Amino acid sequence: MNREMKKRLRAAGLWVTTFVLMVIMCVPGLWVVLSAFRPNREILAKPPIWVPEDLTLNNFGKIFGFGAEQVAIPVLSYFWNSMVIALTSTVIALIIGMAGGYAFARFRFRFKNAWFLGLMLFRAVPGIALSLPVFMLWSRLGLIDTQMGLIIVYVSLNVPFTIWLIDGFFRQIPMSLSEAAQVDGCTRWQAFWKIEFPLARSGIAAAGVFAFLTSWNEFALASQLTRSTDSKTLPVGLMDFTAQFTIDWAGMCAMAVIIIVPALILTFLVQKHLIAGLTFGGVKG
Amino acid sequence: MPRLTMKAMVATALVPLMAVPAVAQDYGNYDGYTLRVKLIGGAQYEPLYAEIEKWEEMTGASVEILSRKNHFELDREIKQDIAASTLDWCVGSNHTSFAPQYGSIYTDLREIVSEDALAGFVPLVLEHGTVDGRLVQLPRHSDVSNLFYIKSIFEDADNQAAFRDEYGYDLAPPETWDQVKDQAMFFADPPDFFGTQFVGKDEAITGRFYEMLVAEGGQLFSDDWEPTFNSDAGVRALSFFVDLYEAGAVPVGVPNYLWDDTGLGFASGTVAMNLDWGGWSAFFNDPENSKVAGDIGLIRAPKGSAGIRTGWSGSHTFSVTETCDNKAAAASFVTFLTDYDRQMVEARKGLLPTRTQVWDDAKAEFASDGNDFLVTVFETYQASMAEDAFTPPLIPEWIEVSNVLWPKLQAAMVGDMSPAEALNEAAEEALLVMEDAGYR
Amino acid sequence: MNRFIRRHQGTLTPLLLLSPAILTMLFVVAIPLVFSFYTSLTPYRLTRPESIEIFVGFRNYVRLFGNDDFWAAFLRTILFLAIALNVEFILGLGIALLINKITWGQRTLRTIMMFPMMFSPILVGFQFKFIFNDNIGILNNALQSLGITDQAIPWLVDGKLAMFSIIFAEVWMSTSVFAILLLAGLFAMPRDPLEAAKVDGCNAWQTFRHITLPFIMPFAFIAMTIRSLDVARAYDIVAVMTDGGPAGRTELLWTMIARVGYENARMGQANAMAYISTILSIAFTYYFFTKLVAARRYMGGAE
Repeated sequence: MNREMKKRLRAAGLWVTTFVLMVIMCVPGLWVVLSAFRPNREILAKPPIWVPEDLTLNNFGKIFGFGAEQVAIPVLSYFWNSMVIALTSTVIALIIGMAGGYAFARFRFRFKNAWFLGLMLFRAVPGIALSLPVFMLWSRLGLIDTQMGLIIVYVSLNVPFTIWLIDGFFRQIPMSLSEAAQVDGCTRWQAFWKIEFPLARSGIAAAGVFAFLTSWNEFALASQLTRSTDSKTLPVGLMDFTAQFTIDWAGMCAMAVIIIVPALILTFLVQKHLIAGLTFGGVKG
Repeated sequence: MPRLTMKAMVATALVPLMAVPAVAQDYGNYDGYTLRVKLIGGAQYEPLYAEIEKWEEMTGASVEILSRKNHFELDREIKQDIAASTLDWCVGSNHTSFAPQYGSIYTDLREIVSEDALAGFVPLVLEHGTVDGRLVQLPRHSDVSNLFYIKSIFEDADNQAAFRDEYGYDLAPPETWDQVKDQAMFFADPPDFFGTQFVGKDEAITGRFYEMLVAEGGQLFSDDWEPTFNSDAGVRALSFFVDLYEAGAVPVGVPNYLWDDTGLGFASGTVAMNLDWGGWSAFFNDPENSKVAGDIGLIRAPKGSAGIRTGWSGSHTFSVTETCDNKAAAASFVTFLTDYDRQMVEARKGLLPTRTQVWDDAKAEFASDGNDFLVTVFETYQASMAEDAFTPPLIPEWIEVSNVLWPKLQAAMVGDMSPAEALNEAAEEALLVMEDAGYR
Repeated sequence: MNRFIRRHQGTLTPLLLLSPAILTMLFVVAIPLVFSFYTSLTPYRLTRPESIEIFVGFRNYVRLFGNDDFWAAFLRTILFLAIALNVEFILGLGIALLINKITWGQRTLRTIMMFPMMFSPILVGFQFKFIFNDNIGILNNALQSLGITDQAIPWLVDGKLAMFSIIFAEVWMSTSVFAILLLAGLFAMPRDPLEAAKVDGCNAWQTFRHITLPFIMPFAFIAMTIRSLDVARAYDIVAVMTDGGPAGRTELLWTMIARVGYENARMGQANAMAYISTILSIAFTYYFFTKLVAARRYMGGAE
């Protein structure tokens, strides 16, 4: 009994220690979240005001155009754009990634390693080097300031990593399984959907989270390729709080909370798959 | 804020003053036309955009705002548009310092805006908006910097006595930049309180250095475009910033400061003197935002050793593209945004107007409201806009020259090299820029 | 097994499956790269579209070789990457080891651990610009209130501190990526070797050093590879926090490229720089990738 208690206490102690450490790590981010509920003059005060005296929803009201000072950021269209762009590009990247990952995992072909490495290295080109040429190409094609324009770019950002994870995952699944299914009269396609896809679900979920977060938070290319409420995403919308001479930091924090919460919820929901997905993806070549 | 009542009050108060003001102006009829525009965004610019509806009502046209960003972002976007030839919009926000870069994409407004509409502007401001003899922009509001200070610390008897003991003359709001330096060092008590502050990076510090250079009797370029800012006057100008920095009279972070940092710094009550734009004055005197509200003095920018006041100035403006498909509608729109009534809207927020009559009427209005502070602000800024204001050289290479200059200014500030070395190196690089651009 | 593979030895099917991926990459990356390579051979200025037609050969590159500021930024970028990636690895490993020990409530802790990943790089930039502000920043205020210092520490100005500050911001944003991948590695670890080591009397450090660490190294290299793929995201952070200043002390290749290309409108020259920076990124990625392959082989995985 005593021993059991001790063990439990130790587990609890470890949990608390880890929790405190995690929270300390999060402090710079939590400060942003807290600032969303405080007026500017309190956040940037000197001497500092440590204990919030004036918690308020004004910063959110301002964004949505309520209250005394209205800024009225078109946050709903930004949110809609972000959702559409991030979700669509994630889904497309996953489909392309599954096809590619399957090809690498299940087939043997010439220059396979070179193809794989090539895809990865293309991804390594810094966004800043691409921004102008992509802009010029997009403007010829009429893709500037469209959701489609950003979706295409984000798909290409996410495809290499998606292929990588999913490739690793498919390799985990013994080929004998799908072979057996085929012997039983399934077509190769059916075997894939019935046997291999369900087993690879975690890996796909993990790749999906990473792809979603990348698209959801991307700023550099979005700021170049979007112009108006037709396609501006939430991170680009953050810049609405900067004027020539001023930054409305409290307003920006409120907007930040609007950006963070959906991403956090999504991550929490797919936690289980995430770890499992990463565990098998990638490594076992 | 009961804006409506205020407006009604203003209207009644002003009726006798202006016999036939803008009310009767005809903005034309562009039924069904959609005007595409790119505007500078940000809290202090928004009230004007609320007026756009009225223009739409009057003309039957509608306005599509393609983008609303700060000017640095807008600048990048416009350059991309030039590169990709996607100038499929009509009206863009512009700025006198940026305008020369854009070459001939903007049309000469003297050809499409009536002489009458131009007559009401302060002539000097229109001149600043002219590039290569073409009026490429219509000024919306101007800006120049003057010196704000905390009144009570200058009036404090102990401070006055101590200052006289140390420096041998009376403590009073400074008339010259040398006095500013003395007083800033006197007041400084880092890290809690600072004598003054300045912006320390990007075009901001280049501009501050440039106006000090002029006040010291120097020039950026010789007549045949050779960089001459590494003259004695240049070294004196740069030393002003370096000395203050080394003495700890300014916050140690200034090399990374931009306008928001200096503005918020002064509002936090931890800085004695602050050279800043007129647009900040309402903010500084608002108890909600500022600890020094009600305790602010303001004087015209001090003089350099050449007896010239600093007066780096620029105007926020509107331009019409050469590729615009309906220049008449665009001209009507920019005229509307800069007309008497619209400028009054912006002036009430403390932005500096570009029409002579708005200066006077806004002052009268502040006086009748009992807002003495804004009266002082407008008097001070009106004087400096009329007498002290000057722009950077209106050449496309200004930003590029600025980009070789400011890192060297910082290098001198943080002690990597002496002011003379820093300016010599910058001058060499600037010479290359000018040669590449075909000036020499 | 072999029969299965032999049956599909034709290259057609896999290439068909791969074609959407290849086409996307060609369209979004390869074609623009060809275009930007061409412009790097011209004196192209954004504001003078006709200048794109003047061919100057490798003059932009030759100029870069004589440009000390450029090479200083180049070396600084390598330093930035090397420090950031290593610190992220060590911290991420620590966090992963801690969380791996937790048996109850782990899902919550993992979500908290991933909290910084929710932050857009541009937001991280603004956030740390305010935190590190010397006068009204929360960090200096805290240090002064606690009596640790009575000075205003110039986090974003001092030569070493400014570099530290931008690395700190980058590390804060990206450590989670390492932690989550390494945690996945720890989860995948077989129990047998660990227990065998215990039986053999290895202490905790020896077990970690000789069993755990080699096992999770491939995960570490995956994390490194992934991070080096999009480490240029740090551009957003640095541009907001210091924009390369003061006096070029935090100038990285990316901030330099953006300034030359857009503010100075000298796209030709900027694209020459961008090419060199692309080669650097590719070199980093390639390096970690070969490490990964070697580590996999060591584990007896594959190929």
